[in-house]
Order: sequence, then structure tokens, then C-alpha cells
Amino acid sequence: MSSSFALLSLIVALPFLGMLFVFTTKSQKETQGHNAFHVCVFTIFANIVLIWRVFMLINEKSRDLQLQEKFNWLSTPDINIVFAVDTFSLLLILSMHIAVLIGLIGVRSNIYKQKSLMVFTLLFLSMATGFFVAADIFSFYMFFEAMLIPLFMLIGMFGEVKKQDLIYRFFLYNFIGALLLFSATMLIYYYYGSITLQQVAKIHIKSGVGIYVWSAIFLAFISRIPIWPFHYWISSINSGIRNPLAFVITSFMPISGIYGFIRFLPSNFSADINNYIVWINIIGAVTMVFIALIGLINRDAQYKIFSYVTIYNIMYLLGVLTNDNIIEHNIGYSLFCFVIIVASLSVINSYIYHKEQENDSDSRGFLCRARRLSLVYSFMIIAAIGLPVSAIFINNFLILSKLLGANLEIGGLLIFAILIVGVTLLQELIRLKTNDANCKLGKNDDISTWQFVFMLFVIFVLVMSFLNPLWFVINE
Amino acid sequence: MIQNWLILLPEISLMLFFPVAMVVNKYRERKTSKTFFTLSKLFLICASIFTIVFYNKSVWPEFWVNNQHSTLFKELLYIVGLAWFYLSSKWFLNKNRPSFGFYMIGMAIILLLAILISARNLIIPVFFVPALCFLTKCMINQHWDENKVKKVSLMYMVFATIFCFLLWGGSLGIWYETNSLSYTFIAKYTSLPGNKSLLIYFSSLMILSSLLFMMAGAPFHFWFIDSISVSILPVCGFLTLIPPFAYLSCLIILMNIFGSISPDLQSYIQSVSLVSLVIGALSANAQTNIRRLFAYGTIYNLGFMLLGILSFKSDAIMSAFVYTLIYVMAMFGIYSVFLAIKSKGDYLSSIDDIYGMSESKPYISVAFLIFMISLIGIPPLLGFWGRLSLINVLVMEGRWWHFFMLMVALIFMANAFLRIIGKLYFETANCHFDRTDKAIYICLFINLLLVLVTILDPTYLLHDTEIIFQKGY
Repeated sequence: MSSSFALLSLIVALPFLGMLFVFTTKSQKETQGHNAFHVCVFTIFANIVLIWRVFMLINEKSRDLQLQEKFNWLSTPDINIVFAVDTFSLLLILSMHIAVLIGLIGVRSNIYKQKSLMVFTLLFLSMATGFFVAADIFSFYMFFEAMLIPLFMLIGMFGEVKKQDLIYRFFLYNFIGALLLFSATMLIYYYYGSITLQQVAKIHIKSGVGIYVWSAIFLAFISRIPIWPFHYWISSINSGIRNPLAFVITSFMPISGIYGFIRFLPSNFSADINNYIVWINIIGAVTMVFIALIGLINRDAQYKIFSYVTIYNIMYLLGVLTNDNIIEHNIGYSLFCFVIIVASLSVINSYIYHKEQENDSDSRGFLCRARRLSLVYSFMIIAAIGLPVSAIFINNFLILSKLLGANLEIGGLLIFAILIVGVTLLQELIRLKTNDANCKLGKNDDISTWQFVFMLFVIFVLVMSFLNPLWFVINE
Repeated sequence: MIQNWLILLPEISLMLFFPVAMVVNKYRERKTSKTFFTLSKLFLICASIFTIVFYNKSVWPEFWVNNQHSTLFKELLYIVGLAWFYLSSKWFLNKNRPSFGFYMIGMAIILLLAILISARNLIIPVFFVPALCFLTKCMINQHWDENKVKKVSLMYMVFATIFCFLLWGGSLGIWYETNSLSYTFIAKYTSLPGNKSLLIYFSSLMILSSLLFMMAGAPFHFWFIDSISVSILPVCGFLTLIPPFAYLSCLIILMNIFGSISPDLQSYIQSVSLVSLVIGALSANAQTNIRRLFAYGTIYNLGFMLLGILSFKSDAIMSAFVYTLIYVMAMFGIYSVFLAIKSKGDYLSSIDDIYGMSESKPYISVAFLIFMISLIGIPPLLGFWGRLSLINVLVMEGRWWHFFMLMVALIFMANAFLRIIGKLYFETANCHFDRTDKAIYICLFINLLLVLVTILDPTYLLHDTEIIFQKGY
């Protein structure tokens, strides 16, 4: 299927153009960043409309990458930039845009370097969209690495990370991962030329080099997922981020790793690879249980969300490693809701945290007085733990059954970890709903009407996805 | 006869600058850096036009050949020279210092470099390289407080003399063996089996060493780092931006004439490039002076370029050219930013001085950020193209260990640049910066525009260049 208009290039370019507009908006002091904010919101909204249009042009049942757009970029080395999408990548792009839009609500009143925040957010969005629409090895690698700079800037400027060295090491750690992918890409190019992602899964490189290529690819992607022993940098950065938008954006790093596995995983596993997969399953399951338990005992609500995000990401990774096409679809549908829920939880959590700081009060019992917030937060927690209100319910059920069927012990550990993290989230909900006379937060601290309306729309999207994950697609 | 004079018009144009500038300096009362810049601009543009007009005409083809290859490098030399003279004039205006010496020496160096690019006989480097070294020493001396630069310039002169002796020794050895100093003859002689004597090998090694010294390849880099540390900003920029193209051209030609003994010379260049990579990347991390840091970055980039060009095949040369072009563009941007980092009339050079600069100078900081990212080679910026084209050469030639070394060095270099980015953006400002000249904004804008447009379609820039490199030297 092809498109007469370069729609995919446009959805990559639009946030970039928006960034240039934001960059030229009036200075911070005069407008307090409102112009930048509005340009950013408008750009994302416009891109969502375009993505919606792309959904209508593709065959959502096909696994092939569609709407291919090819640009001759370099002659030496001979490299073409190829863009194409399937339902999975489009779902991720759409959810990412909606998540960033939700994240923007959380930073609307922010006046600290608002313009910079918007600039780097749009730059990240452009690069991440490019990553998800990349259909050849070089463009995939380019966007994989290009995402790092806006991420580094966002974490450094808005992450409130106390130890600056940690940010540099975090970047270098991811940079090394990207360079590993670069070396693998160059080797693949050496043997096969500039090939598409669909061809990568079918390549056979001679044993020694092949082992290096696959190991480099594996390390590049796994380095972005907080699985032991790669968990330290991500957890030390992500768990401390208070800016909801920055948190939403950093949450995409593990997803980029999972997506990488989906695109690069060989179509047929050899016996050797299967042995490795078993080990990853074991390590993943142990990491999940470990982080779930830490999340349970940790009092920081932000860490609880981080543990939730981590556990689900590892579950998706293990699901991807089953190499099952149907499960891949389930992961796509589940991820769509998961990303939106994480963004919503992060924004609400940040809102409560700032109210605590403003009023110098504990938030215990806050939800008893803030009814709008209570409704939204309760729904999000219910959706997050996998109750039947969003696409997470049925799709996670299928992913877990597949994992349980593959290995009973590991599947059991996964379910145990997911149950614990569910309890962790409920624990926080109960804390906020338990009436406490010492809580200084009142009805006036509830979310505004327009914020409530927007969150109701998000809830609507999630509920509809429960009924049909692609409910918004109108086939032509 | 008249035709010969016409062919020499590019060089004559450059030479005419000196008497005119001297007359202006003597008789004009209100002379500023703008006056000398206008003069240099006039003569550089004339030289540039005449170079294009007589691109394939040579007066003494035995000694000096003009062709597409030399025209390309000369044009780049004039363009970068002109741009840097323009920005330098702003520095001199701001500091209210005399600029006559800087422009005179700068134009003289450009003239000598242009002659070296066209040289086809070793007699030209034998005479002109010592002159170039002397002029470089004079350039370093362009400081209002001579005591500050005295030690560095003296040290430079001592080592430059040693390397000039190496050049003379090497040329003498070649002449003793071949009875000629013509590049064509030497190339023919060394290509014959049985003519690769030890003397030829050592002579070529000595000549190459003197060139690597001028290029500031490690371990001959110390003069460059020290000069950048103490010299005034226009001199630092001049030493960093102007010579790379000329020296790259000389290196390509030299390796072309010593082609048949290149396997032996390759290991020498390889060691220089690896040492440059390691020293450049590691030392950059230990610097607190921002100019010194970028000087080490230059050493690292030289190592990167030398490692890529090692095989001296057409693809490798093309990639090295691309890399140098992108490097010069980025460094030009970096030096433009240096001109904007100014407080109470003083140009700042310590990393501590740029804390939180993004708050008061957002556009300058963004430009700084973009150029640094480009130097690291992170996509989608132009630097990535440079990195990719050189690494592609390594991969195609199966040099995996070199590839691995480059990647490791790149991580260290990235760390050094990240710390600057961190200071710019993640810290609170502790310094009030002066207003930035509009000219700097214009230069940065044009540079950024080139970076953006070129990354979208790099082929427009290089289509003709590829043809030039395929035709030979």
C-alpha cells in the first residue's frame, strides 16, 4: 500500500517545525511561556489528526510495513531513508502523542524554562516518531540515537536530579547502547547493504560475526529496559523525576527497547537463542518481583508508579520474546492504554505532590475532598491494575496466559509481581481516600473544570479501547 | 608572457594586499580592523575569482600545478579565511587593539598555504614551510602582552626549526636517491620495483613528520594546545580553522607520490592517528579552559580523520574531505560562539564562566549545543554524516579494531562535551554577559542553516567534489 502524499514524513517533520516555531516565540519573561505552550499543544493536536488519517489509510490486520516512503540520502555509503508503518507502530505513535498531551496539562502552570521544556519535548516527539516510522536499519539507528539528546536535556533541566554526574552517566550508558546498535548496523550494511527492518529478521551472518551482531543488537535494546543488571541508571533517574512531562518522556526509553526487539527479532529462534531467552525470562521475572516488593515498601508515590511502569515493561519484553504474532498485537493494544494510563497517573501524582508542597500538608485523605480528582485517579488505578475498563484487561490476560503456558514457574512469578504492584497502587489510592483531619488540602485544591473534562475524554478513550482497541479507525 | 602573468593573478592579488595595507596603515588616520578586513576581503575575493577563472592553467607545471583539486581546496581556504577575518574584525573593534599585524600575517599565511596546495615539487615546501612556520610564530606573538606568549612562541620556533630540518633532510635524501624533487618523478621512481630503498623510506617519513607537526598530530601537538591557551581569540580561530584544508590537500598529494611505499607509511600515520585519538579524547576531559578543551577536540578530530584516510583510496579521501569540511563548519560555529561569550568587555574562556549561559544567551547556547552535538556526531546533525562516511571506510576495509578504537574515543569525547552542555543548561548563571554583536548572530544563523540544509540533502554539495576526487590530483 502506498500513499501519494508523504504523510509519514509529515508526522515526523511537524513536531520539528513546531519546535522551530516555539523557539521563535516571545521571551519567557513577557509571556511566562504561554505562547510556547500553546504552539506545542497545537502542534501535537495537529499531528494526532494526521496520525488518525494514517490509521485510515493502512490495513490494520496486516503485519507488513505499509505506506512506504523512500528518500535517497547518501551515495557514499549508499543509504536510503525509508519510512513505513504498521498498526503496532502507529498505536505507539498515537499513544505517545496523547501521553505527551496529558503530560502538558501537568506543566501548564510551570514557569521555569517553559520554552525550553516545550522545545525539547517537541524535538523528542519528532525523533521518537521518526524512530517508530523508520523502516530501514539506518533510519532506525539514527532516530534511536537522536532521541537521546532531547531526553538528556529534559532530564538535566527538569528532572531535578541531585547528582549531576548521574545524568552524564545515564546519557553515556544509553550512548554506548546506541553505538553498539551502530556497530551492528554497519556490519549488517557490510554484508547486506542498506536493508529494511523486515529483512533484518531473516538475515544469516556467519557464526562469529553473527554472534557479535545479535549480541550488540540485544545489548543496545536491553540497555534501555530496566532489567537486571541494566536497571541501575534508569531507576536512579526515572524514579526521582518530579516533572510529569519529563517523566512521561523518559518512560518511552524502555518502550523504544521493546520496540527494537519486535523489529529486529529473528523470525525463527535457533536452539542457542532459546537458551538465552530462558535466562532472560528468569532474570526478568526475578527483577519484576524484586522491584514490585521495593515499590510496595517504598512510601514515595513516584517510586510506586516507577515500579509499576518497570514491571509492565518487563512483562511486555517477555511477551515479545515469545515471538508470537498474535501476542505482538496484544502487546500493541495493551501498550497503547498503558502509556496513556502512566501519563495520567504521573500528572495526577505530580499535581498532588505540588499541592502538598504549596499547602505544606500531607495528602492523606485529599481525595475525600477533591471529588473530580478522586474520580479520575480511581479510574486510572483501576485501569492500571488491569480491571476490565481498558484494553489492558484482555490483552494482558492473553500475554500472561501465553507466558504461563510457556513456563509455569516464571509465569507464576510474573503474576505474583503484577499482583504486588497492583496492591502497591491500591495502597496509594487507599491512603489518599482515607479521611484525615490533618490534611489541609480542600475542595479548592481540586482539578479545574477544563482539566477534568480533558481527563474524562482520556477515560472515554480508555473505555472505548476496552470495547474495541481500534475503535477510532474508520475504514475507507 | 602576459598570459603567464594573468595565470598568476590569484597569487598576485594576494600579494598586492601587502603594499596596499602598508600604505593604508601609514597614511590613513582613522584605520580600524574594519579597514583591514575590507582590504583583505577585496583581495581575497579577487584571488578567489581568478583561481576559478584559471583553475586549469599553470605557469610552471614542473613546480606548481593548478587543477580542479587545488582549486577546490584554495576556494575553501579563501572562504574560511574571509569569514574568520570578518569575525576577527569584531574582536579587534571591541578590544580596540591594532589589527594591522594580524591581517598582514594572516594574508601571508593564506598565500603560502595556497602555494603549498598547488606545489608539485619538493623545492616549494623546502622554501615555504620554514616561512610558514615563522609566520605562525609571528601570528602567535600577536598579543598585546608579549610576555604571555613569549615562551610558547619560542618553544614553537625551536620545534618548528627541528621539523624544518627534518623536511630539508627528507628532501635531500629524496634528491640524493632520485636526482629530482618533482612529485611526478618521485612517484614514478618509487613505483618501480627495487627502488624502495631505506633512504627513500626514511626521507618520506621525515617529510611526513614535518607535515604532521604542522597539522598538530599527537605527539607533535603540544605547540598547538599551548598556542590556543595563550593566544588572542582571532589567532586561536585562525590556527584552528584556516590550515586544515591546505594540510589535508598536502597530505593527499604526498601520500599519492609516496603511494608505492604507503604500506610502510600507513603504520606510521596509523600510530599518529591512534595517539591523537587517545590523547585528544582523554585530555579533553581534564580541561577547565574551554578553548583548550576544543583544542584537544581538534587533536581528536585529526586522529579520526587520519584513521579514516589511512588507505588513501578514492573513497577514503572523499570521506576525509567530508569529515574535515563538517569539522571546520562546526568549529567555525564554536569560535563564533566564543566571540559571543563576553563579560565586561573580556572574552571568557573558563568553563566556570559559562555556568547557566542558556538563561541569558538562549540563542547562542542553542547554537553552541548544536555544534557540540554535531562534533560528537549524533544524528541527525551534520557531524553524523562525517562520522558515518569515515566509519563506512573502516568497515569496508575490514578495520574492526580501528572502528572499535574510534567508538571508545568517541565516548570519552562525548563525555567532555556533555559536561559543557551541562554547565550551559543545568546550572544557574553566575555571570552577566555583554550584548552580542549582530554579526555573530548572522554568522551563526548562516552556519546553522548550512548544517540543516546539508543534512537534508548532502548530495548537492558533494556531487562535483566526488568527480574532482575521482579525476586525481
